[in-house]
Amino acid sequence: MIIEGEHTFKGPREVVYDMFNDPNALATAVPGMQKLVKVDDTHYEGAINLRIGPINASFAGVLSLSDENPPESCTLNIDGKGMAGFAKGVGKVHFTDLGDNSTLLKYAGDVNIGGTLASVGQRMIDSVAKSMIKSGLEKLEKTLEERWQQK
Amino acid sequence: MTGKYFGQPIKRLEDKHLLSGRAKFIDDIEIPGMLHAAFLRSDYAHAIIKKIDVSEARKHPGVVAVYTAEDFGDYWKPGPLQVPPPTAIKGSQFNARTLVPIAKGKVRFSGEPVAIVIAESRYIAEDALEDIIFDAEPLPAVIDLEKAWEDTSVKVHDDLPSNLAALVKQEAGNYEEAKKQADVVVSRKLYADRVAGAAMENRGFVVNWDERNQEMVVWATTQAPLPLRIAIAGKMNLIENQVRVITPFIGGGFGPKIMTSQADDVLLPWISMKLNKPIKWLEDRRENFLATTSERDQVHYCEIALKKDGTILGFKDVFYHNTGAYDPYGMTVPLNTQTHTVSNYRIPNFYTEIRMVFTNEMVVTPVRGAGRPEGVFVMERMMDAAAKELKMDPAEIRMKNLLKPEEFPLKTGIIGQDFVEGVLDSGDYKGNLVKLLEMVEYEKFRKEIQPQARKEGKHLGIGVVAFTEGTAVGPYEGARVTIGNNGKVSVATGISTQGQGHFTVFAQIVAEQLNVKVEDVKVITGDTNHFHWGAGTFASRGATIAGTAIHNASVLVRQKIFATASKFLGVPEDQVELCEGSVCVKGKPEISISLGELAGKANPMRGAVEADVKPGLEATAYFAPPHGATGSGACAIIVDVDPETLKIKIDRLVLVHDCGTVINPLLLEGQIQGAISMGIGNAFYEKIVYDENGQLLTASFMDYLMPQATDMPNKMEIGHLHTSSPLNPLGMKGVGEAGAIPTPPAFVQAVEDALIEYNLDIADSNLNPSMIFEYMHRSKK
Amino acid sequence: MTKLFPVSINVNGQVYERQVEARLLLSDFLRHELGLMGTHVGCEHGICGACTVLFDGEAVRSCLIFSVQASGHEIRTVESLGTPENLHPLQEAFSEKHALQCGFCTPGFLMTLVPFLEQNPHPTDDEVREAIDGNICRCTGYEKIIEAAQEASKKMSSR
Repeated sequence: MIIEGEHTFKGPREVVYDMFNDPNALATAVPGMQKLVKVDDTHYEGAINLRIGPINASFAGVLSLSDENPPESCTLNIDGKGMAGFAKGVGKVHFTDLGDNSTLLKYAGDVNIGGTLASVGQRMIDSVAKSMIKSGLEKLEKTLEERWQQK
Repeated sequence: MTGKYFGQPIKRLEDKHLLSGRAKFIDDIEIPGMLHAAFLRSDYAHAIIKKIDVSEARKHPGVVAVYTAEDFGDYWKPGPLQVPPPTAIKGSQFNARTLVPIAKGKVRFSGEPVAIVIAESRYIAEDALEDIIFDAEPLPAVIDLEKAWEDTSVKVHDDLPSNLAALVKQEAGNYEEAKKQADVVVSRKLYADRVAGAAMENRGFVVNWDERNQEMVVWATTQAPLPLRIAIAGKMNLIENQVRVITPFIGGGFGPKIMTSQADDVLLPWISMKLNKPIKWLEDRRENFLATTSERDQVHYCEIALKKDGTILGFKDVFYHNTGAYDPYGMTVPLNTQTHTVSNYRIPNFYTEIRMVFTNEMVVTPVRGAGRPEGVFVMERMMDAAAKELKMDPAEIRMKNLLKPEEFPLKTGIIGQDFVEGVLDSGDYKGNLVKLLEMVEYEKFRKEIQPQARKEGKHLGIGVVAFTEGTAVGPYEGARVTIGNNGKVSVATGISTQGQGHFTVFAQIVAEQLNVKVEDVKVITGDTNHFHWGAGTFASRGATIAGTAIHNASVLVRQKIFATASKFLGVPEDQVELCEGSVCVKGKPEISISLGELAGKANPMRGAVEADVKPGLEATAYFAPPHGATGSGACAIIVDVDPETLKIKIDRLVLVHDCGTVINPLLLEGQIQGAISMGIGNAFYEKIVYDENGQLLTASFMDYLMPQATDMPNKMEIGHLHTSSPLNPLGMKGVGEAGAIPTPPAFVQAVEDALIEYNLDIADSNLNPSMIFEYMHRSKK
Repeated sequence: MTKLFPVSINVNGQVYERQVEARLLLSDFLRHELGLMGTHVGCEHGICGACTVLFDGEAVRSCLIFSVQASGHEIRTVESLGTPENLHPLQEAFSEKHALQCGFCTPGFLMTLVPFLEQNPHPTDDEVREAIDGNICRCTGYEKIIEAAQEASKKMSSR
């Protein structure tokens, strides 16, 4: 499954980049995320509950960051597993400073899914992923607003 | 040949119990103390197993045991080759990699079992699956057939040099020479997609090791109870008669239930003996899609060489056949494809090459049609392509090349699934098409109906195809017919029944010979304690092969009745005759003895026994044909296509069929109609789809679309020809798969014809609206 | 221990009281608690219709209903129609028209058609076709099921 898109954040690039490196911010942004715990500087362990069509299941996994080039780009890797299958993906995230304190986020990734998730949920997973990203970005937008105002 | 019972449209004897919900199916078997099994299946299509931790699952309340491959010790072994490859084809290569009962070290398809939980209930067993930690390192999956064939491909079996499962080349005549003589040569690349048997009842297995009797009783939804018994006895080191396999009523077969040596029938007997407990396993629908075999999935490169007038000079077909992760069923499917590609027409020069490849997908074994639909699809599509090239009418080019009755028996020069050179025994292939064109009013459609519809902006199209169905193959079947002391007759045979109506048609065969009421004949199929020789129900061979064995046994019993009655009635044998349920003296019906009484007398007691006693009014007989009998037919479909939505309505579907002598015309119609619906499903609804990582995307009826009532034509119009087969005394040919074979090519041809202005050149056997849209889109460009 | 809930379900005219897990499907309750094996389970996701039973007179899928949801309601299964010796006219028509082969899906078709024919005693073929569109049969191709429903409507209206 190919996931790509872009989003403009109202906030300076450094703050946006930092937010993407903050597990707490990410944990609140992803719908159904039960926890996200930092293991080391680039690895987080998490648990998420997903509802995709007829599937309602929890997944445990690792989120890791690589190719960090703050504040311009980084790569997000996810590797999750649960009774309803697995998801393994790589996503490249770019941050472009648009001036006037706004930042353009571009993301492009490829996620492989397997098990029940694929065999029963594949028809729905595309739209579920899109709606999760949409609501996640909206939450991050709010988080950003709060953070930036605090600064 | 129609008699008092044989050939009559008799209502089925088995219906009453099925209709009232009293028939016993596999899940209806309850044994006190019975445990339930559930499998953990791999989510990965191709992966190295790193760790399977079942410790938590073992602690789960209600769980009795959990096993992985390691726990089975030396018992874990790859299964036997259920069907060996034919040795008669010179120069053929075959690499046997048979099913493993449970993955060890590596998984090779998504859905392959990796652990099994035995618990007090199925609910608990499935709960405990969640406690198992399965850790594996995924490998790239082998999915694309042509890429899999390359030496550079990732390998499914590391110990083989490549993914080559088999390579078979057969040639009759000399294609390359024929090609030189040809006026036109047309080539195409064609695809036959994968479909499921999708019987409404999933598979199931119940086993009870009876320690005290030292007997293992197995209930299974198998099409092959006797091979299953042999397999289980062999694995468990028991003598065959310590294993009793019983098939209850089975909710449809359609091919995949022929498989043995799978996780359930290998592991559960061992576990039952170890735990000394009865165990039940029922497959759920998702498991059925993931881990019950399915079929088709071939890519063909074809070439047809013709003269200007449409006469075929030669045909060449090199095709890739997906066998899945293992090849336990040998080459039955692609061999059927080879034999059916050219079986209709006079084709003096034929080259055919099977490239069978291993992939990281579920194993391929026969599904209703079993290689035949692919062969017929390829040939019929090429006939369409040739007709276009030569600007001939599709019916005309077929008529020109169809075999004539006087050409039979015809040796084809191609060795088939029964390991002998194909012989087309009998038929009137042209007659089928003539009758079809009359029934469908082909001329009228072409000259009046279609032009008028086009004027009105409607997109009506017709497809006309011919086909054969190789049926009634060996090796053999047998039966025992016994008259009871109550005058009723019991018949036991080794095949099993999945809804074909054997309880009725076999009774008709017996009733005809013994002049008893059909309802007084009790047929027992698929209980190895009642009859323990035979092969199984496949290749449209039940009614023909077992039916002939039953006929033969009935004839012997009839002779015995006459001999015994002559003795007791004190008249010569030629003076006795069968009255209904009794034997009487010709011309003196008042002097008679009932069959029941005669049966009692045929069991001599003290003082009456002769030295060479053969007690009872009973006989056992077998039947083994030299080769299969070939049914034939022709099919026309008229579709009405909406080019905007690509909703397709089948306006008419006409099928003419010749299966030789008919035992029961009512049931014959049922067989044909059912197979047609499967063919319609295959043509426009059903398709098994794996993604590039080997994930099955169609594992429920939400994604795998089964044909429904509203998808059918208003009426399936069926015509019959009856050309007796010389291969059995009753002149029968099989019919079970017929309707599924011609439907996809007829449908595709009709769709092309309906959308004639788009000049489509459809290469796929399994369409859907979006595929047709893509074809139209590409064609416009 | 798993929590159990009391249910009281009227099945085919008889009230059964049992303690069940909340997740126990009605299909499993009928089959394995009551031993009414005529209700068949073909897909467990509500598509095939083999498990169709009547819930307060309406055709429903018993694999999509928990038995606790049926508490206090009336369920009718295929066993309530006719016996092998005394078939319901719809069952008779199925046999006469050869509208069943393996018979696994048949109880679901019967339980779909019973309320349909009660509400629509003289249906057209298309109406029957629509009515059974939610039931899958792999064996027959449906044509003979439609014929059987029409035959049954004749039998039932002449009684």
